[in-house]
Amino acid sequence: MISRRNFLVSSAVVPLVLGTRAFAQNTKTLQVFTDGDTNISNWWNDNIKPAFEAANPGYTFNVTITRGVGDGNGTIAARALAAMQSKTDPQVDYFEEFEADSIAGSVEAGLWLTVDEKNVPNLKLINPAAIDLPYQLPYRGSQVLIAYDSAKTTAPKTFADIMAYAKANPGRFTYGRPDKGGSGSNFVIRAIHEANGRNPSLFTKESFEQAKADGMLGKAWELLRELHPYTFGEGTYPAGNTPALQLLAQGAVDMIPAWSDQALQAMNQGVLPETVKVAQLQDLALCGGFAYSAIPTNATDLEGALKLANFMLSPEMQTSCVREIGGFPGIGWEHLPAELKAEYIDVIPVSIPTFPSGDWQTAKNDGWYKNVATDIVRD
Amino acid sequence: MTIAKPLASGAKAPGAFLEQAAGLALIAAPMALLITLILLPTVAMIWGTLQVPSDSGAQFGLGRYQAFFADAYSMANLRYTLFQTLASCATALTLSLGIALYLRFSEGRIATMIHALSLFPLFVPSVVISYALVRFLGPNGLLQLLLEQVGFTHYRTPYLTPVGPYIAFVWENLPLPVLVLGAGLSQVSDHAIEAARDLGAKAPRILVEILLPQVRRSLLIAFALIFLGVIGSFTVPYLLGPPAPEMLGVFMQRTLGNLRRPEEAQVQAVMLMLMASVVSGFYIATMLQSERGRR
Repeated sequence: MISRRNFLVSSAVVPLVLGTRAFAQNTKTLQVFTDGDTNISNWWNDNIKPAFEAANPGYTFNVTITRGVGDGNGTIAARALAAMQSKTDPQVDYFEEFEADSIAGSVEAGLWLTVDEKNVPNLKLINPAAIDLPYQLPYRGSQVLIAYDSAKTTAPKTFADIMAYAKANPGRFTYGRPDKGGSGSNFVIRAIHEANGRNPSLFTKESFEQAKADGMLGKAWELLRELHPYTFGEGTYPAGNTPALQLLAQGAVDMIPAWSDQALQAMNQGVLPETVKVAQLQDLALCGGFAYSAIPTNATDLEGALKLANFMLSPEMQTSCVREIGGFPGIGWEHLPAELKAEYIDVIPVSIPTFPSGDWQTAKNDGWYKNVATDIVRD
Repeated sequence: MTIAKPLASGAKAPGAFLEQAAGLALIAAPMALLITLILLPTVAMIWGTLQVPSDSGAQFGLGRYQAFFADAYSMANLRYTLFQTLASCATALTLSLGIALYLRFSEGRIATMIHALSLFPLFVPSVVISYALVRFLGPNGLLQLLLEQVGFTHYRTPYLTPVGPYIAFVWENLPLPVLVLGAGLSQVSDHAIEAARDLGAKAPRILVEILLPQVRRSLLIAFALIFLGVIGSFTVPYLLGPPAPEMLGVFMQRTLGNLRRPEEAQVQAVMLMLMASVVSGFYIATMLQSERGRR
């Protein structure tokens, strides 16, 4: 007689084995790696996967989450590079997000597949502003926007509009501390741009010189210091993206800078009051950036990976990117449904400025604490 | 009942050496860990802060500390840390002494409830209390709504001001001193208090002349426990406090993690350690005294 335990084990294992066999005969499984936040990995598993399987019979994919493990996708890329050198299976087909040139020597070794309109036809739809390196596939973006309560104010169009609103309504505007989250950080950067002729091209990794930076940033500190007494609690800047959104949700302030994806997702989930809307400044947008997918040339199933890449740039999936995660599309808005464009007209950026990492960031954060946040009299 | 054995210094019995050796062997493992993982890195770190780069390589000097003391922003953070810590200590001690006194002289259901409530913060992590306080004390939070119901409309939230972390520190630091002071007060005999009462002493006099002298040691221990907990805290001032001045824990983390200036963060760490070691010194001295007192 079969014992209960053995019965349980075998009844669990047999269908599993048979199932995998039957499955493996007709279905190819792509290996996708992501180290993005939960909203991204959930989106891939819950929305993209069923849609991809329906659109590409015979294909499916498996999402492996490398978030917070070692160097995340960097570790997997290093493994793929090693596999390339030893001519073995890299066990990866698709990187959800990876900056291809961040693994030294990988570009020179030819690890990354050059994508163009021949192998990924939907690239013809791409937003030209999103193009970076030829082996990077921009497929979603986010940018800092101004979230405001439309019951209290109209959409600010310029930095001066924000200053004017704050001064006319003391305590009703705030932004997060620049080192504790991108929303506050990019607002401070926008102030730096404002104080320097709205010319982001002045700020590059190479252009940093301490003395010059002190002068350029100094003008921004004056501007932000002017705003300081009119911010919420007379200069009690919240400690991050979420605390700032929380102040807006609690009705403590009417206007904050916020990440597009976080704000749009919060609005869709009903966390923010219904009257909250988002807008982009029209004279110069706040900073942001794109997330790039990458495909290794030695991918186990290169053909499948290219199918997935093309699928991700299809108008359907790009619409899903806007709807589900509040991201910006990688393809031009003109290729998306007209009603979607109408709904998001206020946030569609004319340009997406960037600000260099490294010395400029350090100077910005340190300078803000010493010159804007504190009441110590400066000489 | 066990009879206390005479300890090390007085012990001359055969086998005493073996007993001592066994004792040392027992603490050898934790001591080794302490030395290799804490003491040595600390010494190396302090030595590092005393090296100043110069043309002919690193030189011994106090340059890094001079820079710290010359920087108005760092000094403001230092003063704020010390002030915040002392203020929360004083308040938490006063409140917990009150609770401990009440519990010493009361019995019954309400006393048990208050005892349980006073220990409750022990089981709530800082990050939870911080977010709870944001919702309770924050703008348009529960407290403000309640106050507005009774017509008080001038509420100004302590969230993101120095008062925010102060409230969280006091709440967080009630349980331990209540326990320590409760233990101290329970050792004061009822006879002494009754005798004082018979002689006509009123409650304040009993407190000052009978109770406080006997719990002086417990008070010092409780003070040290709160002080050491608050001065090195991170989560509460990070989430509830103002952007500037910063408490040293937050300042240090930002200097190291965001500005990537490990040398400056190390100097800040040494300053924090110095303040903490003064109080630790008091604590150890008090403990040694009470050891001696028992012999």
